[in-house]
Amino acid sequence: MRIIIAVLIFCLGVFIYLAPLYFKGSIFDPNAGPFNWGLIATIFVGLSVLGFWYEFERSAKGAKEIALVSMLGTISALSRLPFAAMLNFQPCTFFIICSGYVFGPVAGFMVASLTALISNFFLGHGPWTPYQMFTWGLVGITAGWLRKLNLSPKTSIIVLVIFGFFWGWLYGIIINVWFWTSFVYPLTLKTYLYTLANSVIWDATHALANVLFIIIFGAKVINILERFKKRFNWDIQS
Amino acid sequence: MKLNFRYQDKGTLIHKLNPFVKLAWVSSIVLLAMIFEHPLYLLLLFLATLPVVIAAKGWQEWLSLLRFVLYLSLVIIIINSLVMYHGTHVLLEFTFEIPTLGQPKITLEAICFGLGMSLRLLAIVSAFTILNLTVHPDDMLLAALKLRLPFKSVLATSLSTRFMPALIDDLGRLTDVQRSRGLEIDKGKLIQKIRSRGAVLIPLLSNSLDRTVQIAEAMESRAFGARKVRTYFREIKLTPFGLIQVVAGFLPLIFGLFLRFKGYGGYRYYPSLQKINLNWLELILMLVLVVLLLAILPLATKKRWSLD
Repeated sequence: MRIIIAVLIFCLGVFIYLAPLYFKGSIFDPNAGPFNWGLIATIFVGLSVLGFWYEFERSAKGAKEIALVSMLGTISALSRLPFAAMLNFQPCTFFIICSGYVFGPVAGFMVASLTALISNFFLGHGPWTPYQMFTWGLVGITAGWLRKLNLSPKTSIIVLVIFGFFWGWLYGIIINVWFWTSFVYPLTLKTYLYTLANSVIWDATHALANVLFIIIFGAKVINILERFKKRFNWDIQS
Repeated sequence: MKLNFRYQDKGTLIHKLNPFVKLAWVSSIVLLAMIFEHPLYLLLLFLATLPVVIAAKGWQEWLSLLRFVLYLSLVIIIINSLVMYHGTHVLLEFTFEIPTLGQPKITLEAICFGLGMSLRLLAIVSAFTILNLTVHPDDMLLAALKLRLPFKSVLATSLSTRFMPALIDDLGRLTDVQRSRGLEIDKGKLIQKIRSRGAVLIPLLSNSLDRTVQIAEAMESRAFGARKVRTYFREIKLTPFGLIQVVAGFLPLIFGLFLRFKGYGGYRYYPSLQKINLNWLELILMLVLVVLLLAILPLATKKRWSLD
């Protein structure tokens, strides 16, 4: 049942994402229809985050899981703050990837959502906060899926470097949706690509930071987290 | 290293207002900004936030955020001007062609649309600034608990806000330790700087994970999760008057939705700008909206909220 719900949510998300591009002239036409696409997308993203929070509620059995994700989330948020002025060159995506990879998708999502939530208490909350929680959350979830490939330590770093580079760009592609749907008209592929073009430098520095941090610290951090996972007897369901 | 929350307790009436009232009021502004298209309505929403910012003594922080908003506004205007050619009043027509876009021309309508959307952004960011500056993160989380958001996630967030000062202290101490051992953290090229910072971050990670065990043990020794019904040391109480304040916070939204349903607040930018003809009725309705938006100020002076 959970899988069916997850698939339905996924389809709804894809629909919201693609509808502006394909349903011209219909009730779903964002440029002529009655719906405010920016609001719909934001509500969907907010509900998705809430859905994952409920998933954590179900799967976290005790205090240790809560303490661990909050500590990792804090470290990740803390690592973002000194880099706030350096475009998107920051190590928190790297921390999220490592956390998700070692502790699984649910923990990865929680660390990611805490990163956005906590760091924005310092940098400022806004309509972008749920999008950051959601997009970084997806980074954490997908990093958790990589674990199932059972990669050797050396291969895993190479895969994570590619993964980090890929997510540096994809993060921009997803997070720009809030800006595009709320402030740009008409909602077409062309205007979306222009919006993306505006953030190329941010996304490039993000991808570069992910690659550098994973190459330099990836193996070390994953080792530390793995050792701790064994010691901590981590058993969160994912 | 000194890091502060955006929130600063300045003891103003807005700071002392129940967080639920502020949440309701900010939600109203943000949602109305999303559903209104008319620049005058968006301007009203933005202007309505200013007295509250002043009352909260958040003027300086608000101005510092304005730089970010101005940058985004510029992007909004540029993107809309470059991609939207449906306007009839051409201000500038370039001679060269851009692949897929053709010959670029900038129209008055596109610039006005960009300005309208910038007003929307200003209203939203300004409203959120009030929330950031006047609601302590702990109160925000207490409110989240009261709204029955998932307890464990809210607790994790609350723990994180608690860990933050401790980790900042640890980070400072570790930096001093590494410096005393001869590590030059801010010297060298980018890669060298990253490596040097790693010499601080990696021990911080190990230390923090050890601390996690202590926290988890402390929680379990206090029987965390033993009972489904929880009690709290602090709780946000919503008195009957507080409830009236919350309703007052939502009133602009309800009235705004009514206006939108009646056909007010819309605006056509393309192909040519719609003429703004405000009749007396619409002016009165706009005035009512402003009064409802600003009702938060006299209500804030009436009674202070209490934490138990």
